Amino acid sequence: LLALAGLLVGYGTQLGNGCTSGHGVCGLSRLSLRSLVAVLTFMLVAAVTVFLTRHVFTGASQ
Amino acid sequence: VNARFVAAVSGALFAVGLALSGMTDPGKVLGFLDVAGAWDPSLAFVMGGAVGLHFLWLRFGSQPSATSSRNVDARLVGGAAIFGVGWGLSGYCPGPALTSLAFLRPEAIVFTVAMLAGILVFRLTSRPRLASESSSVEPEPAQAIDIIRTAQSD
Repeated sequence: LLALAGLLVGYGTQLGNGCTSGHGVCGLSRLSLRSLVAVLTFMLVAAVTVFLTRHVFTGASQ
Repeated sequence: VNARFVAAVSGALFAVGLALSGMTDPGKVLGFLDVAGAWDPSLAFVMGGAVGLHFLWLRFGSQPSATSSRNVDARLVGGAAIFGVGWGLSGYCPGPALTSLAFLRPEAIVFTVAMLAGILVFRLTSRPRLASESSSVEPEPAQAIDIIRTAQSD
């Protein structure tokens, strides 16, 4: 699971041109619209993922 | 000041900051993302502090640099979504993962190797984008002036 997560993070960072630090810290403070969209997207998707693994499919993945 | 020295010092500061603030602790990161559970919003202050300080630096402390594209495309949103799934599964994102290597924690090593593999897969499977179709990066002002000069001298 950790390896899958790593693959997704690596691939997604390349495809979306940035990560938490890049879009989140550098992009937001530059008032970049692209970064705002990216940050909202990955925050939302990550929160949904955590919701699914912790509250819906409990025990299946952890 | 030597640029490499500045890079080394700021890299070390960044790593210490990530570790002190709990960003290198996947459990804490997942707690931040777990809005429906025992939500721990404290990491928002880490990001807020970093964004605020960087904003002030850009505004008052540094030379204006490249203008950024405002073009939101499927690639950006898709990449961010894929990133979000991986982040939500593991609690690791790239900066803290690299920093966590210093702890020699097996999870951090597995994650980082997989992350590098993901980057490699992307590099191998996607066509290199031509400069003309690169939507995410606009030329820096200095480059733009050079281009205009070149055009005028033709």
